[in-house]
Amino acid sequence: MPTGRVCFRVALGSSFRQRGNTVLLFKMQFMLLFSRQGKLRLQKWYVPLSDKEKKKITRELVQTVLARKPKMCSFLEWRDLKVVYKRYASLYFCCAIEDQDNELITLEIIHRYVELLDKYFGSVCELDIIFNFEKAYFILDEFLLGGEAQETSKKNVLKAIEQADLLQEPRHEYFNVPMY
Amino acid sequence: MSDVVEKTLTALPSLLSLDSQPGSTKLSSTSKLGTLIRGITELTSKHEEEKLIQRELTSIKEQVSSPNTSMRQMKELMVRAIYCEMLGYEAAFSYIHAIKLAQQGTALEKRVGYLAVSLFLNESHELLLLLVNTVLKDLQSTNLIEVCMALTVVSQIFPKDMIPAILPLVEEKLNHPKEIIRRKAVLALYKFYLIAPNQVQHIHNKFRKALCDKDPGVMTASLHIYLQMIQENPEGYKDLTASFVTIMKQVVGGKLPMDFNYHSVPAPWLQIQLLRILSLLGKNDQSTSEIMYEVLDESLRRAEMNHNITYAILYECVKCIYTIHPKSELLEKAAKCIGNFVLSPKINLKYLGLKALTYVVQQDPKLALQHQMTIIECLDHPDLIIKRETLELLFRITNAQNVTVIVEKMLEFLRINKDDYTTIDLVGKVAELAEKYP
Repeated sequence: MPTGRVCFRVALGSSFRQRGNTVLLFKMQFMLLFSRQGKLRLQKWYVPLSDKEKKKITRELVQTVLARKPKMCSFLEWRDLKVVYKRYASLYFCCAIEDQDNELITLEIIHRYVELLDKYFGSVCELDIIFNFEKAYFILDEFLLGGEAQETSKKNVLKAIEQADLLQEPRHEYFNVPMY
Repeated sequence: MSDVVEKTLTALPSLLSLDSQPGSTKLSSTSKLGTLIRGITELTSKHEEEKLIQRELTSIKEQVSSPNTSMRQMKELMVRAIYCEMLGYEAAFSYIHAIKLAQQGTALEKRVGYLAVSLFLNESHELLLLLVNTVLKDLQSTNLIEVCMALTVVSQIFPKDMIPAILPLVEEKLNHPKEIIRRKAVLALYKFYLIAPNQVQHIHNKFRKALCDKDPGVMTASLHIYLQMIQENPEGYKDLTASFVTIMKQVVGGKLPMDFNYHSVPAPWLQIQLLRILSLLGKNDQSTSEIMYEVLDESLRRAEMNHNITYAILYECVKCIYTIHPKSELLEKAAKCIGNFVLSPKINLKYLGLKALTYVVQQDPKLALQHQMTIIECLDHPDLIIKRETLELLFRITNAQNVTVIVEKMLEFLRINKDDYTTIDLVGKVAELAEKYP
């Protein structure tokens, strides 16, 4: 009996959530955007993971978030991470952060990103992000480089993207003409 | 599926009409990507989606390998490849072409090439070495946008062993007249510091210069590096405490340009970085802590507005106050703040309040007692996350008198809980308590 109990404790030991340690490495692990049907619209990973792991995480997390009811907390605990999510119209924005991190800041990071998208696309909707996802990535990378929120004025972020946009892209590219 | 198709089809007319603003030119949905996306949304089964994507990938593969494909066409192909990978299908054949695109394409094509590289590859991928020459070339380009792109990709992904090759070029960008280049250079150096700290040992004085940069964005970027370095060695940076306090005073006092305001709060992310740095510097050190009391008090006072970001800053402030050498007036104000959070009807704030209580309860057990009623209410809260956090808190304040009640509540929770990780965690706690209080 005593041996059994010790084994049980040892097995559990490794997965105890370490609370109360002041771990200050506040790095975002990943950000996912997905629709209400669970279709992925954008994925940015800030930690190295295999493709298989990424797929597994995406699948499980999407299910978990979609099951949340509207009046619930915007934070949930998932495995050994905290997940912060918010739904904007038909799109869920979902970020995973370390356990010790400040969830409210992450919520505001999401909000800031949405504001940037909104300003860039002009009243952004899910379709903008679907059809122009590479632009959404460019904006994300300007604001969240390597998973850390950059403090720049909104103006500067958008200016950087727009200046790059204006380069050499002849207008006729965007006419109703298929590429080839 | 059908309502998505409805929405897509009804939105098509507005997509097809041209938007005259340069920043938001929308891609026509009759482009190949648009056709692909519409095709996918019309399908009803995973099997059909697989077939469609495989066809698409075969077609992309043919085209990328053909010598007749122009860079402009390659850019479009890469976007589709990224899309396919996002849906979970492997398109490894396109990786090399992404690098080629970054190398040979002109600005916009290069941008997509670099994006594709940052999404496709990882730190240990063998193709990453091929990126180095492209990045080296772009860093020396007279076109600033290309320099920015190179710095952005370096901050995201770069082979550790090639850092010495690129370091001098990045270093010289620290003195560039444009703030965006200086800022990105600092971030690239931060990345180098994270993956190979000994490679950047010799340029610590340049970080100091970045800290004093007249542009707040560059200065904030340098704080990432400082936070990391201070975490590893707080003693080495105590002399900078006064500088950090001064910066914080200026920010809180509204001395930064209005651009940096986020919902009337001046540079919130900068404030948060500074608060974290100050916590590390003031911990267990009375004299250093004394330098910061005034500015912490000021922060607490000024944050009266009703916005999430203010609460986020307050939370960090409270944590800081409890971490550094204690000062009773500040502790009182911080305690009041926590109280406001816990009593708030807003669920997110309540959660944060509970979390703060858990953090401070070792130092100030009376605070938890003060809010007993609310804590007990939270135990019966419909949201499991709040319940879980409350149990976490109770675990910390368990003593011989209340242990039975608390363990009972934990067991009750375990019965309704479905998440494995939480179960394991809680069961462990119950076991620990059982051992402590037989």
